[in-house]
Amino acid sequence: MLKINNLSAKIENKQILNGLNLNVKAGEIHAIMGPNGSGKSTLANILSGKKGYEISGSITYQDKDLFKLEIEERAHNGLFLAFQYPLEIPGVNTSNFLKTSLNAIRKSNGKKELDALEFLKIIKLKAAELKIDEKILNRQLNVGFSGGEKKKNEILQMSLYEPNMVILDETDSGLDIDALKIVANGVNSLRDKKRSFLIITHYQRLLDYIKPDFVHVLMQGKIAKTGCSDLALELEKAGYEKI
Amino acid sequence: MIEELKNTFDKFNKKISIKDKIVHTRLDNFNAFAKIGFPGKSLEDWKFSNFNKIISKFKNIRVNLEEKIELEFNNFITEFEHNKIVFVNGFYNKHSFEYENEDKIVFDFLKNGPAYKASGNNSLNLLNNAFFTDGLLLNVKEGYSFQKPLIVYNVFKANKNNNFFNHKLIINVEKNANLELVNNNINLNSEPIFLNTSNFFHVEKYAVLKLFQINHLNNQDLNYNLNDATVLENGVFENFILTCNNEFFKNDVFCFLKENYSSGFINGCILANNNEEHEIKTFTKHIGESTKSYQKVKSVLDKNSKSIFQGKIYVDSHAQKTDGYQLSKAIILDQNSEFDSKPELEIYADDVKCSHGSTSGNLDENAIFYLMSRGLSRSDARKLLIKGFLEDVIETITSEKIKKYFSKRLSILLNEYR
Repeated sequence: MLKINNLSAKIENKQILNGLNLNVKAGEIHAIMGPNGSGKSTLANILSGKKGYEISGSITYQDKDLFKLEIEERAHNGLFLAFQYPLEIPGVNTSNFLKTSLNAIRKSNGKKELDALEFLKIIKLKAAELKIDEKILNRQLNVGFSGGEKKKNEILQMSLYEPNMVILDETDSGLDIDALKIVANGVNSLRDKKRSFLIITHYQRLLDYIKPDFVHVLMQGKIAKTGCSDLALELEKAGYEKI
Repeated sequence: MIEELKNTFDKFNKKISIKDKIVHTRLDNFNAFAKIGFPGKSLEDWKFSNFNKIISKFKNIRVNLEEKIELEFNNFITEFEHNKIVFVNGFYNKHSFEYENEDKIVFDFLKNGPAYKASGNNSLNLLNNAFFTDGLLLNVKEGYSFQKPLIVYNVFKANKNNNFFNHKLIINVEKNANLELVNNNINLNSEPIFLNTSNFFHVEKYAVLKLFQINHLNNQDLNYNLNDATVLENGVFENFILTCNNEFFKNDVFCFLKENYSSGFINGCILANNNEEHEIKTFTKHIGESTKSYQKVKSVLDKNSKSIFQGKIYVDSHAQKTDGYQLSKAIILDQNSEFDSKPELEIYADDVKCSHGSTSGNLDENAIFYLMSRGLSRSDARKLLIKGFLEDVIETITSEKIKKYFSKRLSILLNEYR
C-alpha cells in the first residue's frame, strides 16, 4: 500500500526526517510513536502533500510515485489525513463542505455525484454509527468547535470518504475518554483487509482501543525501533530515553 | 468638459422641462454643480478615488432624450415572485403590481416634475438634480405590507446618442408599512455608460424598508449611487449592496436615525476584479435615543483592483444608548490590488456602545491545503473560502428568498475567479 524509502526532509535548513523507511501493507495498522520534535507531524504533512519541505528519498503509494500526485489527487486516490489541528473555515457550512468534497472524490473516480438528498441520507447514517451529534453538520466548518468536536469531525470525514490509506496525526491528543472511544470506534469499524492505517500518537492510551499490527518508534527523523503492540506499553512505562 | 456639459444641459433642459419653475430649478442645480465640478481628490469623501481621471474617459457625455425605444425587456429574475417596474434608458417603460392591493400604494413617475432644489455640496447629486430624466415616486400607505418584493429594473441600451443616465427613486414608507425593494441596474449593450443615481427614502414610525442593490453592468461602466434615508421612531432601514463587474462604483449611503429606537443596517459585498474600483461609503447619524446601526462590508480584490470602505458613525449628544457596530474586511488576491478603509466614530453622548474593526489579508494557505487534502482542486478550495468569507455578509439579509438569490448570484460571480 505505502512504501517509504530512505525519506529525508528539511525545512528552513533544519533536518527533520533522516532516512526513514516504512512499509505498510494492505490491511495493516501501524502506530508511530515518538517524542516531541521527532518528525511525526512532518511525516504526516509530507504524505498528504504539504509544500515547503526539501525532500529526498521516495514514497510509493499503491504502486504510484506519491510525489507526482497533487494534494487533491492523493485524496482522489484514497489517501486521507486526519489533521492534528483541523482548520476553522468561517462561512462554509459543514454539511455543504462534506458533500462538495465527497463529490469531488467520487467524480475523480468516475462515480456519480450525490444529490443533496442522497448525501444527507449517507451522512446521517454515518454520524449515527459513530455517535456524532448531527448538529455539527449545520454549523460552519470547525468554527467554534471544541477540540473533541473537531477531531470527531475528522473521523466523520474519514468514515464518509472510505479511504484506502488513513493517517491519523495525533488525533487522540486532547480527547476525553468518550471522544477517544468514538475515534477508536471509527477506525475499528473501517478496519478491513484492503485498508491500511498509520496512527501517529504520543500516548499508548489510544492503542488500548485500536490494536496495531506494528509499533514504530520515531526518533531523530528515523525509525529507531519496531515491535508489536507491547512496545507501546513498554514506552509508556520507561519513556523514550532507553531506546 | 464642464463647458461642453453646459451646452448639453441647455439643450436638455429646454426639451425636458415643461414649466418655467422647473427650468430654473434644474438650472440652479447645474450652476451649483458647475461651480464645484466633478469631485476631486482634495475632498475628504473622495480622497481615495481619482474620479476626474475616471470621468475624463467620457469625453463625450451624451444625455438621453429619446423616450421611445424599441425594446421589450422581459428578462426578469425568476428565482422569486415579485412586482416590477421597468425603466429603459432612464424613462419609465412598464410596471406590474400584480401581487398588491393598489389602493394601498401611490406611485408616479418623475418625468414631468417636480424638480429638486439645489442644496448641499454633493456635486454628483446636483448633477443628478439637473439631468434626471425620470424616476419612481412611491408611497406605501399606513399599515400596508407589500406581499412580494418590488424590483426596479433599470435597463440601459446605450448607443451613439446617449451614455449618461440620471435616475431617482423617491420612496416613502408610511407608519407600520413594509417594503422590500430590489434595485437592479442592467446594461444590455457594451457601449460604456455613466449612471448617476440619487435616491431618497423616508421610513416612518414602525415601518420597515429593505433595499437590495444588484448590478448587471459591464466592465467599462461607471455608477455613482446616493442613498439618503431618514428613519423615524422604531423604523428600520436595511440596505444590502453587492458590487461587481463595473469599472467604477461608489455607493454613498446616508442613514439618518432621527427618532428613538430607529435602526439602520448597511451591509455589502464588494467583488472587484480587472482594474475595477468599488466603494461603499456610509454615514450614519444617530440623533434619536436607543438607536441602532450596523455595517458589515467585505471585499474580495483581484487583478489590480481597488476597494474602499469609508464608514462614519456620528452620535449626537442626545442619542444616549446608541448601539453602533462596524466591520470591514478584505481579501486581497494579488500584489497590485488595494484596499482602503477609513472607519470614523464621532461621539457626543456618554452612554453609548460603538465598535469598529477593519482587517485585510490573503487567503489562508493552510485552509487551502486542508480543503485540497479533502479532494478539492486549488481553484475550488479558493472559491469555497472566498464564498465562505462573503457568505457571512449575505447572512445579514433578513429576507430568506432574497438571501438565497444573492447567495446563488455570488456563486455564479465567483466562477470567474481563479
